[in-house]
Amino acid sequence: MKLFQYLRLWLACARYSITRTMMFRFDFLMWSLVELFWMGVNVALVSVIYEHTDEIAGWNKYQMLLLVGSSMIVQRMLMGFFWSNLYELGRNIRTGHFDFFLAQPGNLMFMASTRKLELEGIVNVFAAAAIVVYAARQLQLDPSVADILVYLLMLGCGLVIHYSVVMISVSLTFWIVKSEGIEGSYFTLTEFSRLPREAYRGIFKGIASVVFVYALPVVIVSNVPARALQQGLYWPHALWLIGAALFWFTLATIVFNRGLRRYSSASS
Amino acid sequence: MLATLNKYRHAFLLGLQSNLVYRWNFVIRATFSLFHLLVVFILWGAAFQGKTEIGGFDLAQTMTYFITLLVLQFFISAFNEDYQISEEIRNGLINQFLLKPINYYLYRFSIFLAARMVSGGLALLPVLIALPLLGDLLSFPAETWRILYAIPAVLMSAMIQFTIAYCFGLLAFWFLEIQSFIILSFAIETLLAGQVFPLDLLPKRLFEISQYLPYYYQMYFPASIITGRATDQAEILRNFGIQAFWVLALLLIAQALWHRGLRRHTAVGG
Repeated sequence: MKLFQYLRLWLACARYSITRTMMFRFDFLMWSLVELFWMGVNVALVSVIYEHTDEIAGWNKYQMLLLVGSSMIVQRMLMGFFWSNLYELGRNIRTGHFDFFLAQPGNLMFMASTRKLELEGIVNVFAAAAIVVYAARQLQLDPSVADILVYLLMLGCGLVIHYSVVMISVSLTFWIVKSEGIEGSYFTLTEFSRLPREAYRGIFKGIASVVFVYALPVVIVSNVPARALQQGLYWPHALWLIGAALFWFTLATIVFNRGLRRYSSASS
Repeated sequence: MLATLNKYRHAFLLGLQSNLVYRWNFVIRATFSLFHLLVVFILWGAAFQGKTEIGGFDLAQTMTYFITLLVLQFFISAFNEDYQISEEIRNGLINQFLLKPINYYLYRFSIFLAARMVSGGLALLPVLIALPLLGDLLSFPAETWRILYAIPAVLMSAMIQFTIAYCFGLLAFWFLEIQSFIILSFAIETLLAGQVFPLDLLPKRLFEISQYLPYYYQMYFPASIITGRATDQAEILRNFGIQAFWVLALLLIAQALWHRGLRRHTAVGG
């Protein structure tokens, strides 16, 4: 019952977002192009490097495209469903506009994270998915329905992790008022998620596996689903990813609610 | 003449001061750059695995290219000049320049120069400190003519960078929101200026086409002279011609946009 009610709330917000987007069609077109072009930059990098080499860390061109595509699906979903809400959340806490959310009936974290949809992000999820499908075709993969469902589940876990990490950094605004640069740090982190895990060699193997696989799991977020689609699922990895998603989401909830207690609105 | 220079000298000094104040922006930006460099290193390191060269250059030369690019960026890139200019137009802050005998382009350019001297100097520091560590990764060509060629190439690159940003800023005369234009063009610039990969790795035909676009001269051209990726002196000289053409063309476009824009300008606020 409660779940149904939240779904209805979400749908109402979605309807509002779609109407708003249709009012600013040119803007929508431009921002869709922006995201498409940035994805193009990444695809161009892969194509150019593979003009000169056949494999990177054991990954061939199409495997790499599959990885990059998977990483981009997660990123675009975050952009489409949550980004502008999270970004504005930080600003609202600083300015005191967050009061508006406090007055709403419903889970605050849910209300604050789902108010707006960015359609240009969602449109580009399809573009990223097209890259994955193309790469899978070239690799002559023939995934069963179950494989695809598992792949989507893994991507979902990735989305939860990305969401939670950004949520935690935004929630820091409750403590330190000036917490800018979140945007940049997120995009920098996602750069690491487009690298195959095997590429981390030498000293990076140790440092990177601690920081990016265990502490901030951006690498595993993209590598596990991309591998799963190619070679079938390796259960320990999947369980690890699901566990990480649960862990990060719980942490985000705790940090957000702790921060909330410190919120004292703003003067005037 | 001297009085004119004096005007812009003050703008320059003002730019120096305000940029020394906002050190945190620099620190944040520099940190991201370092992480980016780490990604580049891991990726190319893996690509070079079991190989001695890609496109005729070894790993050290390739990393030298990316490190040079990074340092160069702090010296000549337009960071958010486009945004600042559009804000000044939107808020009506440019109105004061319309009433005074001051050229807005030169005023902004003086500030840009000052800002890049600060950020470039600051960026050079950590590199110099890390030099012993980076030693194995850096391998510059020894020819001295390169220094001679690099200086005008870098200066003209800075002008191209700034003037493109300036033109985008002036779009605020026509559009309320120009952020999407800026980021869109930033994606194109990043790719075609050689920041994602050295442009010479492109298929030959595409590489030739890229040499006629202004982006090539924003970053890749000076970097290729400094790091030895450009070897043919005759070709470099020809490209100097194209670079000079683009500097001129962009200045003319900027001038045209400014005059057309002012006609639409309604001087809101102030």
